[in-house]
Amino acid sequence: MNAAPQPARLVETALRCYPARWRRRHGEEAAELAALLIRDGTPAGSIAWNYLAGAAREWLAPPPGRRLGIVACALLAVACSMGISAGLLTPAVPARASTSQPPHGHAHCRAGSRAPVPGVPHALRYPQASIRETRHGHAC
Amino acid sequence: MAVSRQDGGAGQDVLRRAGEASVLILISLAGGTKHGYALIQDIRELAGVELGPGTLYGALDRLERLGLIEPLPADDRRHPYRITAPGAAALRVHLDSLERVSAAGRLRLQLGGI
Repeated sequence: MNAAPQPARLVETALRCYPARWRRRHGEEAAELAALLIRDGTPAGSIAWNYLAGAAREWLAPPPGRRLGIVACALLAVACSMGISAGLLTPAVPARASTSQPPHGHAHCRAGSRAPVPGVPHALRYPQASIRETRHGHAC
Repeated sequence: MAVSRQDGGAGQDVLRRAGEASVLILISLAGGTKHGYALIQDIRELAGVELGPGTLYGALDRLERLGLIEPLPADDRRHPYRITAPGAAALRVHLDSLERVSAAGRLRLQLGGI
Protein backbone atom coordinates (compact mmCIF):
# COMPACT_ATOMS: atom_id res chain seq x y z
CA MET A 1 0.00 0.00 0.00
CA ASN A 2 2.57 2.56 -1.10
CA ALA A 3 0.96 5.78 -2.27
CA ALA A 4 4.23 7.52 -3.15
CA PRO A 5 4.53 8.08 -6.91
CA GLN A 6 7.42 6.56 -8.82
CA PRO A 7 9.66 9.70 -9.10
CA ALA A 8 9.31 10.43 -5.39
CA ARG A 9 10.24 6.85 -4.55
CA LEU A 10 13.31 7.12 -6.75
CA VAL A 11 14.48 10.23 -4.91
CA GLU A 12 13.63 8.74 -1.50
CA THR A 13 15.77 5.71 -2.32
CA ALA A 14 18.68 7.96 -3.30
CA LEU A 15 18.30 10.00 -0.11
CA ARG A 16 18.42 6.83 1.98
CA CYS A 17 21.96 6.30 0.68
CA TYR A 18 23.26 9.29 2.66
CA PRO A 19 24.78 8.85 6.12
CA ALA A 20 22.30 9.20 9.00
CA ARG A 21 23.79 12.47 10.27
CA TRP A 22 23.31 14.01 6.80
CA ARG A 23 19.70 12.79 6.63
CA ARG A 24 18.96 14.25 10.05
CA ARG A 25 20.35 17.58 8.93
CA HIS A 26 19.15 17.89 5.33
CA GLY A 27 16.81 14.96 4.71
CA GLU A 28 13.42 16.71 4.86
CA GLU A 29 14.62 19.80 3.04
CA ALA A 30 16.31 17.70 0.35
CA ALA A 31 13.08 15.77 -0.28
CA GLU A 32 11.11 18.99 -0.52
CA LEU A 33 13.70 20.52 -2.85
CA ALA A 34 13.49 17.45 -5.09
CA ALA A 35 9.69 17.75 -5.19
CA LEU A 36 9.97 21.41 -6.23
CA LEU A 37 12.53 20.62 -8.93
CA ILE A 38 10.37 17.79 -10.29
CA ARG A 39 7.42 20.17 -10.36
CA ASP A 40 9.58 22.60 -12.38
CA GLY A 41 10.27 19.90 -14.95
CA THR A 42 13.63 18.48 -13.86
CA PRO A 43 13.66 14.72 -14.53
CA ALA A 44 13.38 12.70 -11.31
CA GLY A 45 16.05 10.32 -12.54
CA SER A 46 18.52 13.15 -12.91
CA ILE A 47 17.78 14.39 -9.38
CA ALA A 48 18.07 10.90 -7.93
CA TRP A 49 21.35 10.34 -9.75
CA ASN A 50 22.72 13.64 -8.45
CA TYR A 51 21.72 12.72 -4.90
CA LEU A 52 23.36 9.31 -5.34
CA ALA A 53 26.61 10.94 -6.45
CA GLY A 54 26.36 13.32 -3.47
CA ALA A 55 25.83 10.38 -1.12
CA ALA A 56 28.91 8.63 -2.51
CA ARG A 57 30.97 11.79 -1.97
CA GLU A 58 29.58 12.09 1.54
CA TRP A 59 30.70 8.55 2.43
CA LEU A 60 34.09 8.92 0.76
CA ALA A 61 34.93 12.26 2.36
CA PRO A 62 34.30 11.89 6.10
CA PRO A 63 34.21 14.94 8.40
CA PRO A 64 37.57 16.53 9.35
CA GLY A 65 37.70 14.99 12.84
CA ARG A 66 37.20 11.49 11.51
CA ARG A 67 39.65 12.13 8.69
CA LEU A 68 42.39 12.78 11.27
CA GLY A 69 41.45 9.54 13.02
CA ILE A 70 41.68 7.60 9.76
CA VAL A 71 45.13 9.06 9.05
CA ALA A 72 46.30 8.15 12.56
CA CYS A 73 44.99 4.58 12.14
CA ALA A 74 46.70 4.27 8.75
CA LEU A 75 50.03 5.47 10.20
CA LEU A 76 49.67 3.04 13.10
CA ALA A 77 48.93 0.17 10.69
CA VAL A 78 51.98 1.04 8.57
CA ALA A 79 54.17 1.28 11.66
CA CYS A 80 52.90 -2.09 12.93
CA SER A 81 53.43 -3.81 9.59
CA MET A 82 56.96 -2.39 9.37
CA GLY A 83 57.66 -3.62 12.89
CA ILE A 84 56.42 -7.10 12.02
CA SER A 85 58.45 -7.15 8.79
CA ALA A 86 61.57 -6.09 10.67
CA GLY A 87 60.92 -8.80 13.24
CA LEU A 88 60.64 -11.47 10.53
CA LEU A 89 63.80 -10.30 8.76
CA THR A 90 65.98 -10.16 11.88
CA PRO A 91 68.09 -13.37 12.17
CA ALA A 92 67.94 -15.45 15.32
CA VAL A 93 71.74 -15.37 15.75
CA PRO A 94 71.99 -12.79 18.55
CA ALA A 95 69.63 -14.78 20.75
CA ARG A 96 71.63 -18.00 20.32
CA ALA A 97 74.96 -16.24 20.62
CA SER A 98 74.07 -14.74 23.94
CA THR A 99 73.42 -18.14 25.51
CA SER A 100 76.50 -20.05 24.26
CA GLN A 101 80.14 -19.27 24.86
CA PRO A 102 81.94 -18.52 21.59
CA PRO A 103 85.19 -20.47 21.00
CA HIS A 104 87.37 -17.42 20.41
CA GLY A 105 85.60 -14.57 22.10
CA HIS A 106 83.45 -13.27 19.26
CA ALA A 107 79.75 -13.36 20.12
CA HIS A 108 78.58 -13.81 16.53
CA CYS A 109 80.69 -16.92 15.82
CA ARG A 110 79.18 -20.38 16.06
CA ALA A 111 80.96 -23.32 17.56
CA GLY A 112 81.71 -26.41 15.53
CA SER A 113 83.02 -25.02 12.22
CA ARG A 114 83.19 -27.59 9.49
CA ALA A 115 86.47 -28.53 7.91
CA PRO A 116 87.27 -26.77 4.63
CA VAL A 117 86.55 -28.68 1.39
CA PRO A 118 89.58 -28.58 -0.90
CA GLY A 119 89.14 -26.64 -4.13
CA VAL A 120 85.86 -24.95 -3.14
CA PRO A 121 86.02 -21.36 -1.98
CA HIS A 122 84.76 -20.92 1.56
CA ALA A 123 82.30 -18.20 0.56
CA LEU A 124 80.54 -20.51 -1.93
CA ARG A 125 80.03 -23.25 0.61
CA TYR A 126 78.83 -20.95 3.41
CA PRO A 127 77.64 -17.65 1.96
CA GLN A 128 76.41 -16.50 5.35
CA ALA A 129 79.86 -17.10 6.81
CA SER A 130 81.58 -14.79 4.35
CA ILE A 131 79.94 -11.81 5.99
CA ARG A 132 81.07 -12.84 9.42
CA GLU A 133 84.62 -13.49 8.30
CA THR A 134 85.17 -9.89 7.34
CA ARG A 135 84.74 -8.75 10.93
CA HIS A 136 87.85 -10.24 12.47
CA GLY A 137 89.88 -11.80 9.68
CA HIS A 138 89.37 -15.54 10.24
CA ALA A 139 86.72 -18.18 9.72
CA CYS A 140 84.26 -18.93 12.47
CA MET B 1 21.73 42.17 2.42
CA ALA B 2 24.92 44.09 2.03
CA VAL B 3 28.13 42.16 1.77
CA SER B 4 30.33 42.74 4.77
CA ARG B 5 33.09 45.21 4.05
CA GLN B 6 35.51 43.42 6.33
CA ASP B 7 38.25 42.42 3.99
CA GLY B 8 41.04 40.00 4.56
CA GLY B 9 43.24 42.17 2.35
CA ALA B 10 45.46 40.38 -0.13
CA GLY B 11 44.84 37.08 1.61
CA GLN B 12 45.17 33.56 0.29
CA ASP B 13 42.61 32.45 -2.27
CA VAL B 14 40.87 29.71 -0.28
CA LEU B 15 38.28 29.30 -3.04
CA ARG B 16 40.83 28.44 -5.70
CA ARG B 17 40.21 24.72 -5.27
CA ALA B 18 36.72 24.91 -3.82
CA GLY B 19 35.01 24.21 -7.12
CA GLU B 20 32.65 26.16 -9.32
CA ALA B 21 29.56 25.29 -7.28
CA SER B 22 31.01 26.79 -4.10
CA VAL B 23 31.96 30.01 -5.84
CA LEU B 24 28.54 30.33 -7.47
CA ILE B 25 26.81 29.74 -4.13
CA LEU B 26 28.89 32.44 -2.47
CA ILE B 27 28.15 34.86 -5.30
CA SER B 28 24.44 34.09 -4.97
CA LEU B 29 24.49 34.50 -1.19
CA ALA B 30 26.36 37.79 -1.57
CA GLY B 31 23.04 39.11 -2.87
CA GLY B 32 21.14 38.02 0.26
CA THR B 33 20.16 35.02 2.35
CA LYS B 34 18.67 32.08 0.43
CA HIS B 35 17.63 28.48 0.94
CA GLY B 36 18.44 25.58 -1.37
CA TYR B 37 15.68 26.01 -3.96
CA ALA B 38 16.22 29.78 -4.21
CA LEU B 39 19.96 29.20 -4.63
CA ILE B 40 19.42 26.78 -7.52
CA GLN B 41 17.05 29.21 -9.26
CA ASP B 42 19.33 32.21 -8.72
CA ILE B 43 22.41 30.38 -10.00
CA ARG B 44 20.47 29.24 -13.07
CA GLU B 45 19.58 32.87 -13.86
CA LEU B 46 22.97 34.27 -12.85
CA ALA B 47 25.32 31.87 -14.61
CA GLY B 48 23.15 29.54 -16.68
CA VAL B 49 24.37 26.65 -14.57
CA GLU B 50 21.94 23.93 -13.48
CA LEU B 51 23.19 22.99 -10.03
CA GLY B 52 22.10 19.51 -8.95
CA PRO B 53 20.67 19.20 -5.43
CA GLY B 54 23.34 16.70 -4.35
CA THR B 55 26.07 19.03 -5.58
CA LEU B 56 24.37 21.94 -3.81
CA TYR B 57 24.24 20.28 -0.39
CA GLY B 58 27.81 19.02 -0.71
CA ALA B 59 29.05 22.52 -1.47
CA LEU B 60 26.92 24.07 1.30
CA ASP B 61 28.38 21.66 3.88
CA ARG B 62 31.91 22.36 2.68
CA LEU B 63 31.43 26.13 2.78
CA GLU B 64 29.88 25.90 6.24
CA ARG B 65 32.82 23.82 7.52
CA LEU B 66 35.17 26.49 6.18
CA GLY B 67 33.17 29.16 8.01
CA LEU B 68 32.37 30.97 4.77
CA ILE B 69 28.60 30.64 5.16
CA GLU B 70 26.29 30.01 8.11
CA PRO B 71 22.82 28.49 8.40
CA LEU B 72 20.01 30.59 9.82
CA PRO B 73 17.12 29.21 11.89
CA ALA B 74 14.86 27.11 9.67
CA ASP B 75 11.57 28.52 8.46
CA ASP B 76 9.30 25.52 7.92
CA ARG B 77 11.66 22.84 6.59
CA ARG B 78 13.95 25.15 4.67
CA HIS B 79 17.29 26.28 6.07
CA PRO B 80 18.33 29.67 4.74
CA TYR B 81 22.05 30.39 4.53
CA ARG B 82 23.96 33.60 4.65
CA ILE B 83 27.50 34.53 3.71
CA THR B 84 29.82 35.32 6.63
CA ALA B 85 32.42 38.11 6.80
CA PRO B 86 35.29 35.66 6.05
CA GLY B 87 33.15 34.29 3.21
CA ALA B 88 32.75 37.73 1.69
CA ALA B 89 36.47 38.39 2.04
CA ALA B 90 37.34 35.05 0.45
CA LEU B 91 34.95 35.72 -2.43
CA ARG B 92 36.49 39.15 -3.00
CA VAL B 93 40.01 37.68 -3.08
CA HIS B 94 38.89 34.98 -5.50
CA LEU B 95 37.10 37.38 -7.84
CA ASP B 96 40.15 39.69 -7.83
CA SER B 97 42.30 36.73 -8.79
CA LEU B 98 39.91 35.78 -11.60
CA GLU B 99 39.94 39.36 -12.85
CA ARG B 100 43.74 39.39 -13.02
CA VAL B 101 43.78 36.10 -14.93
CA SER B 102 41.02 37.32 -17.22
CA ALA B 103 42.86 40.58 -17.95
CA ALA B 104 46.07 38.72 -18.69
CA GLY B 105 44.22 36.36 -21.01
CA ARG B 106 42.58 39.21 -22.92
CA LEU B 107 45.91 41.00 -23.25
CA ARG B 108 47.61 37.94 -24.66
CA LEU B 109 44.81 37.39 -27.14
CA GLN B 110 45.16 41.02 -28.20
CA LEU B 111 48.95 40.85 -28.52
CA GLY B 112 48.77 37.57 -30.37
CA GLY B 113 46.26 39.03 -32.80
CA ILE B 114 44.02 36.00 -32.40
